[in-house]
Amino acid sequence: MNKRIIINPLTRISGFLEIDVRIENNVVVDAKTKGNLFRGFEQMLVGRSPFDAVYFTQRICGICSAAHSMASSLALEDALKIEPMEQGRYLRDIIHCCEFLQNHIRHFYQYTVPDFVKLGQNTLLETDHHDFRLAKEINNRIAQHYLDSLAISRSAHQMLAVLGGKAPHNHGVFIGGITTKATSEKVVLIDSLLQKIVEFIDEKMIPDVYDIAHYYPEYFKLGGGYGNLLSYGSFHNYKELGTLYTNPLVLSKKGLEVFNENNIEEKIDYSYYKLSEKTDKQNQAVLEPDMDKKGAYSWVKAPRYNGLPFEVGPLARLILSGNYINRISAMDRTIARALETKKIAEIMKILLKQIIPDVEMQQKYDLPLSASGRGLVDTTRGALGHWLEIKNQKISFYQIITPSTWDFSTRDENGYRGVAEEALIGTPIANPDEPVEIGRILRSFDPCMSCATHVYSPGKKVKTIKVF
Amino acid sequence: MNKLILPPEDLSNEAISKRLTTNALNNVNNGLINKKNLVYLELNGCSGNIISLLNGQNPDFEYAFTSMVNILYSNSLMVSEGEKAIAKLMNALEGDYILAVEGAVALKNNGLYNIIGSWKGKPLTGLEAIKLLGEKASHILAVGACATHGGVSAAKPNPSESVGINKVLTNKKMIMLPGCPVHPDWFLGTLAHLLLYGEPDTDNLNRPLMFYSTLIHDRCPRRPFFDRGIFAEKLSDKTCLFKLGCRGPVTRTDCPTRQWNGHVNWPIGDDTPCIGCAQFGFPDAMAPFISYDTTRVVKDE
Repeated sequence: MNKRIIINPLTRISGFLEIDVRIENNVVVDAKTKGNLFRGFEQMLVGRSPFDAVYFTQRICGICSAAHSMASSLALEDALKIEPMEQGRYLRDIIHCCEFLQNHIRHFYQYTVPDFVKLGQNTLLETDHHDFRLAKEINNRIAQHYLDSLAISRSAHQMLAVLGGKAPHNHGVFIGGITTKATSEKVVLIDSLLQKIVEFIDEKMIPDVYDIAHYYPEYFKLGGGYGNLLSYGSFHNYKELGTLYTNPLVLSKKGLEVFNENNIEEKIDYSYYKLSEKTDKQNQAVLEPDMDKKGAYSWVKAPRYNGLPFEVGPLARLILSGNYINRISAMDRTIARALETKKIAEIMKILLKQIIPDVEMQQKYDLPLSASGRGLVDTTRGALGHWLEIKNQKISFYQIITPSTWDFSTRDENGYRGVAEEALIGTPIANPDEPVEIGRILRSFDPCMSCATHVYSPGKKVKTIKVF
Repeated sequence: MNKLILPPEDLSNEAISKRLTTNALNNVNNGLINKKNLVYLELNGCSGNIISLLNGQNPDFEYAFTSMVNILYSNSLMVSEGEKAIAKLMNALEGDYILAVEGAVALKNNGLYNIIGSWKGKPLTGLEAIKLLGEKASHILAVGACATHGGVSAAKPNPSESVGINKVLTNKKMIMLPGCPVHPDWFLGTLAHLLLYGEPDTDNLNRPLMFYSTLIHDRCPRRPFFDRGIFAEKLSDKTCLFKLGCRGPVTRTDCPTRQWNGHVNWPIGDDTPCIGCAQFGFPDAMAPFISYDTTRVVKDE
């Protein structure tokens, strides 16, 4: 029996995602993930002041805005040839840690938990399916934590604002580190808030995720996919501290290798873009949106590493850093996110201990007439890259490849599906009228489609859009 | 009845939404007013306003959604998915509801640049949804810069042809809550006022006076430096940020007294200029956000 299942919108994510799945005999045989919004950030950035990229690109994403401030600051430092002080790096990375905590806690409790836990009877929390298995007291405990977590994720954003001015869309992360000097009062305020967050992670979040895993064991076998993992590196390469988490690595059938950015390319075979006639730059083809393109089905493009799709995110980082066994599934991804939350809190503690108050990180920066730079950083959902060029002291080119572009890419001309699409293949759907399996698997990637679907960029040749 | 005691000026500013919410909740509990339905529609944007609302403390968000309103629809938070979620959106049309909208309306390709779901097998665009829901809403709140005037989604060259919701709902009255993102108190305080007393007093651009009446510049703690001509030359300086491009002199919000994220900080407190994110015209009219010498001779503009 052949059946098509469409889920649109896939709620409890950031942005708009549609899933189009074909099942035969109740098993998924084909899947398309479709990004359903387009704004065109890369085109908007052209002509703006390079300094504005830091605040402007944060508006790509409401739940992971600090990630974009990190990548754009790194890209500008690369272009302006500025090396931040270690104190600047520590403070900036502390802000980034706060975002990890906020994002992971919200994704787990507000977005993932409702797939497994019955929360309540009001319209917002009403469920569509009947596959709830937790013992009543465990269910009720986690349902209470759904509400308790709101105060905790909020305080993670509060810590972020102590150094970053406000959140979402912080003002603190910038070239050179952060914009304000640390003070003992700020450090101790953050530390006191962090203590309560750590308690919550240890006493609630991690036990909760293992309880869910215990009742839904088949999800250790579902949602696997290619098994190719990639990280640009995360909290690594400090001068004195070395690597606190993950070095830039890739894992594929060829084994573990050092990441090399020259192996990245972006494809548009099945995305709503065509090559523009008005290609005016050397080596760069301009793309324009084209929703009528034959075969195209999504605003998300298809980044590939050595021609292959790679998974990015917490599970990739934990495995690449040797903190988790090499086992890839929907449940492992969800557990990894909870374990990483604890890991990030520990890293943040270490970084806080290094802070020396009242160190000046800022200076008056001069813009070069022309320059280029790139900022690669692993963020909450995985590998994020910003590439920019400056001409006449203005941005002349900007390209962004977000983590969700990696995980929710379209297929390519070699027949490779995107990572999340592939993860769905072979999934048994118990009841096609209530296909709860699909959402559970896709949410394990923490899709952020407001991030993934802004792309609009120049590249090198038709079909294959190569970054620089 | 509750006795209202007004604290000193800048405290009252922070306490407005707390006080209103407490009153609203008491009235709900006493059966004096009914909990209203709320449809929270996300359109073309970053979904950052709903994240900001989760940061609400005065009142907190959990309190708002358990005690003040029934949320019928929210792409970010609702448990239903697919057409079953959209069915809840359509069901809302049958009753009375307040409509809150974040994100801009993408007009390009008949709205197809922003599809928010599918209904009866067909794509439902943000453009169709806002027309449908805007028409029947008892009150409309435009939440955040993209909804109030297009915001970053409509930044030049505006590839998705995004506009604020008032450009689509031309004959409807609405309350404007600009900001990128909106401050949770601005939204939740306005909502509490709606439940308690109806629409709050607004200015000629439909912004609630209780939050948007005063220029940042007029309440800025660094104003004395401005008055004495002492200006910051780089970020992290503790003096007036005017010459780095601060938009406080043209932006009307209560940020200086309210501050953000539980009142711990705000952009100027972080030694950076205000970028006018709550002013109409943001971002293009407020760019460049940071310049190291605004007193230079401008040649290229």
